[in-house]
Amino acid sequence: MTLLYIFGGSAVAVALLVALAAWARIPRRAPVFAEAEARDLFALEFPTRTLSGLWLGEDGAVARSGDEALVLFRVGDGYAARSLPWNKAIASPVKDGRLNLSLGDFAAPRAVISLAAWPPEAAA
Amino acid sequence: MMHAPFDVVTWATPAFILLVIAEILAVRFLDAKGGYEARDTATSLGMGLVSTVTGIVTGGIVAASVLWVWSHRIYTVPHTAIWAWVALFFLEDLTYYWFHRISHERRFWWAAHVNHHTSQHYNLTTALRQTWTGGVAGTWALWLPLTFLGFPPGMVAIQKGISLVYQFWIHTETIGKMWGPIEYVFNTPSHHRVHHARNPRYLDRNYAGILIIWDRMFGTFEPESAEEPPRYGIVKNLGDFNILRVAFHEWVGIGKDLMSARSIRDVFGYIFGPPGWSPDGSRETSAVIKARWQASLGKASLAEEREAEPADRPGAQ
Repeated sequence: MTLLYIFGGSAVAVALLVALAAWARIPRRAPVFAEAEARDLFALEFPTRTLSGLWLGEDGAVARSGDEALVLFRVGDGYAARSLPWNKAIASPVKDGRLNLSLGDFAAPRAVISLAAWPPEAAA
Repeated sequence: MMHAPFDVVTWATPAFILLVIAEILAVRFLDAKGGYEARDTATSLGMGLVSTVTGIVTGGIVAASVLWVWSHRIYTVPHTAIWAWVALFFLEDLTYYWFHRISHERRFWWAAHVNHHTSQHYNLTTALRQTWTGGVAGTWALWLPLTFLGFPPGMVAIQKGISLVYQFWIHTETIGKMWGPIEYVFNTPSHHRVHHARNPRYLDRNYAGILIIWDRMFGTFEPESAEEPPRYGIVKNLGDFNILRVAFHEWVGIGKDLMSARSIRDVFGYIFGPPGWSPDGSRETSAVIKARWQASLGKASLAEEREAEPADRPGAQ
């Protein structure tokens, strides 16, 4: 029973610390997916790839490289990067202006990116 | 009953909480370096909280193993002797170095340790993003030789606790580089920032617990470079803050890979190869990423030399 009290007290302490972190509003500068910044991030994440097309959203970006779609998407004030087959990417659904990419990876199952238009005209 | 005279980590917990509060306030009001994202903080602290419970699952096996080894020890080290504590300090820290190195360089143990590296932040709560599956991974067995040598289990537990508590305060961006001799001997915030970075230059470096001398001795030391600030996280960052994903994603990855294994070699490679190993080499290990980075440095310096060449020649304008 004592252990349960300790665990409960610890959970309350955790909640208070999370609340303090939220109140402080001290995240890092979130990644920007404007063209130059996005190209830099793609170069960082996929250094061997050449981009043949780039589509930008405020919370992520998609690039084409051969038969693959390279994806950057925001996670909190950071981001994650993944790739998927290009055909799968252009067939992915858009709902309310948000592209929903299924990444087939338990560590990052999906990326949701606000894109003005998808699929790209050339690929549609 | 076999337990430490006191649990160092439990006693240090109030200090952990106060220091997290101090770091948040320092970043908020004193413009100290660092950052907090509430969901990231919740995940780190949640991992820490639950890790205190998951240890119970394997606690019996661990305790039984320690007792069995203790009953077969070759010597009895007196726990009241100063030399014994000095010797244990070095031996435990060396053990930690190898535990930590294996935990990064072999996938089975990386699966248990990776959760600690999944935050894209580097603050004091990152220190508390502890494993849930370390007991199952069995790395605790690496400390058994100390008991076999004759160090009482309680003494080893205390020294392990001291090491864990020491490693808490180095998880911060708020402290820059420290006084030279300190940086030369001890693991510091600067050295450990390198360890948590995903930049190719910094991958698989600085495994130290308390003393950085082991990395210097075994060739895994890398200093923090002002020209290349650390980018925190793992090579392939997680797609959200789901705590179960943080705890188990690499285990699930191993399971999926084993389903597709076609030979004993594949099975062995997927489990005990370096993280990123694949039978056809289509994935990237840290070594591959580092080698490519080093090759790119070579190309860049060659290009710079070529650009500089005409001006360097005698008589050139």
